[in-house]
Amino acid sequence: MTVPWVEALPWTVVLPLVGAALTPAVAARRPRVAGYWAWGVLLVTTALASGLVVELALRGPFSYALGGWAAPYGIELRFDHFSAWVLPLAALFVVIVPFSWRYLDHVMPAGRLPAFYALLLLNCGGMIGFCVTGDLFNLFVFTEVVALSSYALVAVGGRGLAAYAALKYLFIGAVSSLLMLFAVAQLFVMTGSLNMADVAARLAELGPGVPVMVAFAALAVSFMVKAAMFPVHVWLPDAHAIAPSPVSAVLSGMVVKIGIVGMLRVYQIYYGAGVLELGPFNQALVWLGAISIVMGAFFAVFQDDIKLMLAYSTISNIGYIVLGLGLASPYAVIGASVHVFNHALIKATLFLAAGAIIHQTGYRTLSDLRGVARSMPQTAAAMAVGAVSIVGLPPTAGFVCKWFIALGAFEANQAPFGFALVFGALFIFIYYIRMVNAFYFQQPVHAAVAEARDVPLSMRGPIVLLATLCLILGVLGGIPLSFVEPAVLDLLPAWGP
Amino acid sequence: MEVVDARVILAPTVSFLCAALVFATGRSVFWRRFWTFLAATIKMGLVLSMLPGTLRGVVYTYQFVEFTPGIGIGFRADAYGMFFSLVSSTLWVLTTIYAIGYMQGDKDRVRFFGFFALCVSTTVGVSFAENLLTFFLFYETLTICTYPLVVHAETPEALRAGRIYLTYTLIGGGFALVGAIMTLNVAGTLTLAHPGILSGDAGFGTLLVIFLCLIIGFGVKAGIMPLHGWLPIAMVAPTPVSALLHAVAVVKVGAFGVTRVIYNVFGVELLQQLGFATPLAWLAAFTILAGSTIALTQDHLKRRLAYSTISQLSYIVLGAALLTPLAATAAIIHVANQAFAKITMFFVVGAITKTTGKKYVSELDGIGARMPWSMAAFTIAALSFVGVPLFAGFITKWYLALGALQADAWWFVLVMIVSSLLNAGYWFPIIHRAYFRTAQEPWPPPPPGRRLETHKTLLIPILICAAYVLLLGVTAEVPGMPFSVAQVAVERAFGLPGVTP
Amino acid sequence: MLLFGLDLDYVAVIVLFCVGLYMLVAKSNLLKKLLGLNVMETAVFAFIVTAGMIEGGDPPIMVEGTSAPFASPIPHAMVLTGIVVAVSVTAVALALIVQIHAHFGTIEVDELKELP
Repeated sequence: MTVPWVEALPWTVVLPLVGAALTPAVAARRPRVAGYWAWGVLLVTTALASGLVVELALRGPFSYALGGWAAPYGIELRFDHFSAWVLPLAALFVVIVPFSWRYLDHVMPAGRLPAFYALLLLNCGGMIGFCVTGDLFNLFVFTEVVALSSYALVAVGGRGLAAYAALKYLFIGAVSSLLMLFAVAQLFVMTGSLNMADVAARLAELGPGVPVMVAFAALAVSFMVKAAMFPVHVWLPDAHAIAPSPVSAVLSGMVVKIGIVGMLRVYQIYYGAGVLELGPFNQALVWLGAISIVMGAFFAVFQDDIKLMLAYSTISNIGYIVLGLGLASPYAVIGASVHVFNHALIKATLFLAAGAIIHQTGYRTLSDLRGVARSMPQTAAAMAVGAVSIVGLPPTAGFVCKWFIALGAFEANQAPFGFALVFGALFIFIYYIRMVNAFYFQQPVHAAVAEARDVPLSMRGPIVLLATLCLILGVLGGIPLSFVEPAVLDLLPAWGP
Repeated sequence: MEVVDARVILAPTVSFLCAALVFATGRSVFWRRFWTFLAATIKMGLVLSMLPGTLRGVVYTYQFVEFTPGIGIGFRADAYGMFFSLVSSTLWVLTTIYAIGYMQGDKDRVRFFGFFALCVSTTVGVSFAENLLTFFLFYETLTICTYPLVVHAETPEALRAGRIYLTYTLIGGGFALVGAIMTLNVAGTLTLAHPGILSGDAGFGTLLVIFLCLIIGFGVKAGIMPLHGWLPIAMVAPTPVSALLHAVAVVKVGAFGVTRVIYNVFGVELLQQLGFATPLAWLAAFTILAGSTIALTQDHLKRRLAYSTISQLSYIVLGAALLTPLAATAAIIHVANQAFAKITMFFVVGAITKTTGKKYVSELDGIGARMPWSMAAFTIAALSFVGVPLFAGFITKWYLALGALQADAWWFVLVMIVSSLLNAGYWFPIIHRAYFRTAQEPWPPPPPGRRLETHKTLLIPILICAAYVLLLGVTAEVPGMPFSVAQVAVERAFGLPGVTP
Repeated sequence: MLLFGLDLDYVAVIVLFCVGLYMLVAKSNLLKKLLGLNVMETAVFAFIVTAGMIEGGDPPIMVEGTSAPFASPIPHAMVLTGIVVAVSVTAVALALIVQIHAHFGTIEVDELKELP
């Protein structure tokens, strides 16, 4: 029996959203059930997503018209190679949720758990919707779903400080969403359509002009804010550091990637339409990406708090992805697209491991956490693997992407950025070697650290699994790469292989 | 002819597995030693089993995985790779025996032997790399895996040494990475299977940048001055680590990389056209002389050995940079000669420190009476370095001299003569002190019940390595010995005809 | 009517947006910032509705008495959805402000900065 996977496409979006709505009801009697319910919903979503990806691999991109209304009048869900990101997205959620079962005990009262898991499901559903929609306004709506649940997730675990960080995030995020709404409206006014493919075709007929450029600029700025690129990155460090660790993993690994996927969608429209000379913009992206890399690494090195350091490291890695996009050569964009996934994996490893350490010892700073590797060997090992990965040393996942982006830099005749990329990564290694030395080779200064035991299996399992994947994907990195390659080559017709 | 054979990939990966097992079961002394030994012996067995084929000219390959068309992880055992892996796997078995004895009673042995086994795998991975990407992958992994071994003692100076080691090697790795990427961009391929993949079309400037990046990248580990700074500082590591890694594995990987760049990335013809090799040869010559000169001034035994290593490694670089077949033979054969002789010396120094606690040359008066066999081995190794005929080092110097003459560069012969004299200058005082001076205070005799001068696990590897040094020197021309592998390597791997003098 | 080459409606929208932006950036009271955000959102909605207007067009309802040309209904749908989104954002922001006030006792950014 062949399952019509096309029909499953809306379910991947609807399932987490409906699951979110039902969570308070399901967990009314016993709040902890919310965690298991969320996990179940996410498992089913992941299964659906894998079916979709298989369908994509076998038969190419496909669409689904919501409500039976055909495009371009109805809302179209379109599953292409860039949408395949929903599979690792959902899978990462499936790994992160078991971690939160025990972790949240010391972060929030049990009564808040249903709210937390509902928000998490909303976040996941929103991101999946973002990646599979083919309609511009739908894109805006899902962006807002993701954004709102993110603001709330930052604040749900804490008191005043978390609320303040979340509010700052909210203000900047809301402005960027407004810009996006404005751009979508502008595009509608110009072309009379909201369907992305249709807009691209009609833009091509319209030809160049100031309104087209204004819409592009608004969209680009909006997504760059969401992706926390320099200079609009200021909301990220506080928000990601204050949030509970599973939330930090989700935010750093996946929510910021919304900006990147959005940028890819914008590229699809504008490269397809061919009405705008994107060269200067791409060059600006290259510069801003390079500055992000260096600045993120620089600030990260001087942090004592682990989670703040990891947050700055996210800014640095987004810089890599943006640099790759801006270089606009096939290898660079392939590397950048795959780094969306690899960085999510590595960041999840790091944040979960850091969260486990903080959970067991109660300390967050490097100077307090000396010698923790003796008490928590597996977690510390996972953290070490994550550290090696994020610097981009072989044989880990981070290396493959950096190789390809650097290759793309040389391919695009921008050799200095290739050098900057390779050596920028090494700079952040200074922090990680301090971390490894502190964890492994120094004596504990606090009794809590020396006597800590390693985290229970529901927390350790995800951490070890993610760390192992970091290593495996270093060797088998070819699989995501070859998957993304056809999409990128479609995107950049001017540059052939 | 090329044959696909899984042994090429099994050789590195089997010991990865054994390393994982050491980490998992290492608390039990038996299992720890078992897996470590198994890793070393399986590897040696696999490599030896491929040797007959290599002598006949067979090349074993195995493509593991492809990232995109043309870029992937592949393995290829040509004669040069076989030579290197033979040397390192043989020495690994011996060093494992030595390390087990040396590290008795030490702490964190699970970590030590686990990473030790990992280093085995990565070194063989480097020697069997089919392309620059695979080479770089294992090269950097070797850096990471050696770090915990360098900082094993966990003292502040060990940590400082580790930091300096990483700084040098990672920055070098960055240069190598850039060089590899630029090569891929220019040549479209990274394979090391041909005598040169770059061509003159790329432009002088680009080729110069690639050459500099790759040589700096691999030269850090190969100890070419001024990139050698990490080597003496890394001597703070336990002696088995210094012996194997910093006399054989890490530094040889660097020299291996330099020769691969010269012969398989650029190729002899292109380098002769561009003239890049001559400055490199002069830099190598400078390193040879400067390293030996500094060694003269060192009283700390391991530091003297470190500077001697720096000096000796540049023999290999010099041999490669001369671009002639005879010099190439010298370069390859010196990989083995230097390895065995230097490791003998490190083993002896470690045995002395373990048995008597002495670390400085000035403290060694009369130790020849207390530890006669060890000092005999040391003397054999020293004579090899000086280049006395019938010892391994003489073969190297002979072929290097012939190679220099073949390249119309007779002044390098002078460099070698001066270097031999300097070598005599810093080895013979040690031997003289050991045998011909009486001890300031009498040496404590071995504890009752011990007949040997030091623990047998320390002594046996010393004797085996010293014997091998003699063997290499005496039986060079015998088929099946390393020398013939080197000849096949020069002819086939580098495409240089006619090696027999 | 044209002003600076643009319809008066669009100029009003731009002015409104700038007013809202000023409030968001320059005011130090968190509630006032939120109000500024709302003004900005209103400006964008106004832009959308204005853009969908057709001179002399009828409301987009197919009943007796209306005929083509109709004003486009899609902007209306967009604005309605946008208002819902704006309300949600405002609700979350207000909840956060209440939380901040409960914890710190103030909602002035200047005073919040002084706190450790």
